[in-house]
Amino acid sequence: MIEGAALGARGTLGLAWRLARRELRGGFAGLRIVIACLALGVAAIAAVGTLRAATEAGLAEDASRLLGGDLEIRSTYQPLPPEGRAWIAARGGRLSEVVQMRAMAIGPSGERSLVELKAVDGAYPLYGALVLDPPVPQGGLMPGGLMPGGLMMDRSIVERLGLKPGDEVRIGEARFPLRAVIVTEPDKVATPAIFGPRAMIPLADVERTALIQPGSMVAYEYRVALPAGADARGFAAALRTQPFADGGWRIRVADQAAPSVTRFVDQAASFLVLAGLTALLVGGIGVATGVRAWLEARARTIATLRCLGAPANLIFATYFAQVMVLAAIGIGIGLVAGYALTWAAASALAGALPVPPRLGLYPWPLALAAIYGLLTALAFSLWPLGRARDIPGAALFRTGLAAPTVRPRLSLVAANAAAALALVGLVVATADRPMFAAWFCLGALATLGMFRLGASLLMAAARAMPRLRMPSVRLGLANLHRPGAPTPIMLVALGIGLTTLAAVAMIEGNLRRQIAESLPEAAPSFYFIDIQADQAEAFDATARALPGVTEVERVPSLRARIVAVDGVPVEQMVVSPETAWALRGDRGLTYTAKMPEGTRLVAGAWWPEEYAGPPLVSFDAGLAAGWGLQLGGTITVNVLGRDIELKVASLRDVAWRSLGINFTLVASPGLLSSAPHTNIATVRNAPGQDTAVLRALTDAFPNISGIRVRDALEAVASLLGRLGTALSSTAAVTLLAGMLVLAGAVAAGQARRVRDAVVLKTVGALRSQIRAAYLVEFGVLGLASGLLAAVAGTIAAWGVVRFVMHADWVFLPGTLASVVGLCLLLTLGFGYVGTSLALRARPAPLLRNE
Amino acid sequence: MTDSTPPLIDARDLSFTVGTAGGPVNILRGVSLTIRPGESVGIVGPSGSGKTTLLMLLAGLERATGGALRVAGLDLGALDEDALARFRRDRLGIVFQAFHLIPTMTALENVAVPLEFAGRRDAFDRAAAALQSVGLGHRLDHYPGQLSGGEQQRVALARAIVGEPQLILADEPTGNLDRGNGTAVMDLLFGLQRDSGTTLLLITHDAALAARCARQIRIEDGRIASDSAVLAEAA
Ligand SMILES: Nc1ncnc2c1ncn2[C@@H]1O[C@H](COP(=O)(O)OP(=O)(O)O)[C@@H](O)[C@H]1O
Ligand SMILES: [Mg+2]
Repeated sequence: MIEGAALGARGTLGLAWRLARRELRGGFAGLRIVIACLALGVAAIAAVGTLRAATEAGLAEDASRLLGGDLEIRSTYQPLPPEGRAWIAARGGRLSEVVQMRAMAIGPSGERSLVELKAVDGAYPLYGALVLDPPVPQGGLMPGGLMPGGLMMDRSIVERLGLKPGDEVRIGEARFPLRAVIVTEPDKVATPAIFGPRAMIPLADVERTALIQPGSMVAYEYRVALPAGADARGFAAALRTQPFADGGWRIRVADQAAPSVTRFVDQAASFLVLAGLTALLVGGIGVATGVRAWLEARARTIATLRCLGAPANLIFATYFAQVMVLAAIGIGIGLVAGYALTWAAASALAGALPVPPRLGLYPWPLALAAIYGLLTALAFSLWPLGRARDIPGAALFRTGLAAPTVRPRLSLVAANAAAALALVGLVVATADRPMFAAWFCLGALATLGMFRLGASLLMAAARAMPRLRMPSVRLGLANLHRPGAPTPIMLVALGIGLTTLAAVAMIEGNLRRQIAESLPEAAPSFYFIDIQADQAEAFDATARALPGVTEVERVPSLRARIVAVDGVPVEQMVVSPETAWALRGDRGLTYTAKMPEGTRLVAGAWWPEEYAGPPLVSFDAGLAAGWGLQLGGTITVNVLGRDIELKVASLRDVAWRSLGINFTLVASPGLLSSAPHTNIATVRNAPGQDTAVLRALTDAFPNISGIRVRDALEAVASLLGRLGTALSSTAAVTLLAGMLVLAGAVAAGQARRVRDAVVLKTVGALRSQIRAAYLVEFGVLGLASGLLAAVAGTIAAWGVVRFVMHADWVFLPGTLASVVGLCLLLTLGFGYVGTSLALRARPAPLLRNE
Repeated sequence: MTDSTPPLIDARDLSFTVGTAGGPVNILRGVSLTIRPGESVGIVGPSGSGKTTLLMLLAGLERATGGALRVAGLDLGALDEDALARFRRDRLGIVFQAFHLIPTMTALENVAVPLEFAGRRDAFDRAAAALQSVGLGHRLDHYPGQLSGGEQQRVALARAIVGEPQLILADEPTGNLDRGNGTAVMDLLFGLQRDSGTTLLLITHDAALAARCARQIRIEDGRIASDSAVLAEAA
């Protein structure tokens, strides 16, 4: 009594620690699964986090080089006025001018390809180096290494056009000898070549190409190197207020580290983190079951301790300490493995990453992964630990039946709930898109609940099943609902992993399919851009006359920058994250009197054909919703340096998937028709005629560029494919975690399986019959979790495709079937191995004992 | 007992040797034994003398390392694992000291399983009848953990007799039971044997129990030390 009273809180902890150490010395075989599960999940998260930090460090490190200057002014259509140059020079800024456009490069053989043409001045590049092959000898050349009159191109197009150094390449109206192959372009990240390979010419030669005509899609970029110590943001802000400044300018500052790229990295990383979290969630289930099984094996020890007078808190502290020690080991292993995995991932993703990641030790992502691991360990072990705490000493004297299920005390339930909430809070708080993360958590919880419920239903169904005449089938089904059957844990563990895999597979499949595999019936073969107003009629006629051409559609095309909505400047607008992209950069703008065929109006009405009033616009309904823009509201756009206010007359569902000509903004004719602009056309032709059509049209109109739709889509698809690979591998980690838990469950039931098999053999069951019974059991489990995973995965993928990616949803039964099939194979595989091992056991030793 | 009926068990010079770390151990050293249909045989002997091993050999659960063994006309040494299982299923009932019921199956399922595997349509009806006959008609849906030791052994008994075997092998079936329960189980066993004319081979410690069998065999150190049938013949 006195001793007991003297044993204060510290004494309890000290004693608990000694007891814990004593037990741990005896090994922790039962908790190995806990270590493995935590390690796997933590590794995935640590790897993703480190890779992200390393990539962003890589971006930040070279921000000025990547952007091409400390500051960049980008203007569509119009060059910087001389006052601007003077203003910059007066403040010590060094200027480099780069003009970008799309053009056709035509080799001596007549072979041609779209290129992203970049005309650079002698100051280029302000930072970093342009690496060429052959290297341009120093001296006698322009600063920066460019030879006047010379052409440099990416290796891919040099090969495609079959060029040798010195070969003449026609671009627009000019011919250029090929001087060198571009090996490294220092500023490629900030100005990527999207639609085709890069070609570079000196700025002085751009005139000769005659590609710049009124309204041509030309971007003028001015990179500024500031004197050391100058404040780039301040400089940019001051620049904006100058009288010569243009509302259509986009000014980027290097320390924003190529923001669009960072955004891309952030978003990709947050998807990967969520995938890693699913792995941790599955690992958590492994933790819960592992801890429970381990404590069950210790029930007698605990009951003995109770009989010897150990208080409940001492017991709790003893086992809690052990679980935490092992959790720490698991987390430690996970951090090391995840850190190592980063390098593997970095090399695997080398092509998909914008810059080489700056490999190093980033404490924050590792700490975050560790916290995730710790919270998971807590959230999934407190409940079973709390139950063990209250095992009565009397349990020692009951044999046969399992210990009665006790509910942990309220304070522990509360602690458990707090750990789970903290986990959710951390997921949401650290997410790039908190809303999406919150949905993810909700979805994960719902999925968990669904599988648990599914397990209960499956067990109830197996119980309610009428007795079947086939003994193996009856036995297999009965095994699903026997007392202590691991049906729920197997279903949940396997199911979550497969749901992730199914969802990722469907999302990936959806993107791939929409982009590459199933071009819509109506998809055109080509886009032709930069068709001048005076070429329009001739273009139509020439195109229509070509053999194999079935359709030519042409509309005016302008580039507009949205500067204000309902009078609010875009910098001050509060919009949904999904629609923010449309406020950055240029939007396509066209005008038409008649409503284009296939338009789906959501609200408002089309203007009358003869309408001639103030400019009206028909706008994308999805963007309008994200911006809070209503019918009758206004959008102010900057076109060719001029601000124009458009009144919203109708909202449309824009079917991007049709790949026809789609414009965010469709205006009424009138005011805009008088602005200088070009036309864009789509041409459909018979398969196999692509080369001939491209040749004929670009020969006839040298300033016009043709974009082969299939090429463009394939370029995007290959980028997405690499991203998809990253996602799939993270999903695979989840499945791996699921398999680990499954293997754990199979292993935990193995002693029972061996014993049952021996008894069954003794009473005359054939090996094939026993095997069949187990295969039925595992098969039904696999089928059930596969089907449930298919449902949950489809819902998740649908949600992501529809609401996060704003793409059209395609159901992919083939993909889904392979997921279910995989599930079945996996469980049958595990079952087969388990059963074969069980059948190999010799009966006599098992029967003779006891 | 005429010599014209073929023996149910015909063992010639059976030996069973296992290799252990400390060299080979001869557990059975030349056991020859003939048992005719309908006999009841009590096997006694000190602990460790090889009784259980002999039963394992007779049930085809272990293979003899020497000698020849025919049971119910089958040469057990020539049968493969599945054939041995079929042999047990169709001809044999076994009762163990430790019951060896499947804990996750109800009493009814435990008894019905052998018939199910034999493809009998009436497996569950017969199992229920068998449980009825051992006095457990009211415990069909109980799990072994919910039954007392005596009740569990009666379930095991029901499982052993449900297929109407030619031979029942029982290895100290009352070893884990108190006297009252033990007597009840044994009364049942002998009653069944008497009624159906089944051959019974009962291993026991208990001389009184062995005395209830028509024939007693004593095993010592892996050999038959005495056999009441041989003694009677000699007499
Ligand atoms: N697989 C084995 N390996 C080693 N020794 C064994 C093996 N099986 C049985 N024995 C030994 O053989 C002897 C006979 O065992 P058993 O047949 O169980 O005797 P009984 O049933 O008469 O008590 C015992 O000493 C036992 O330890
Ligand atoms: Mg024995």
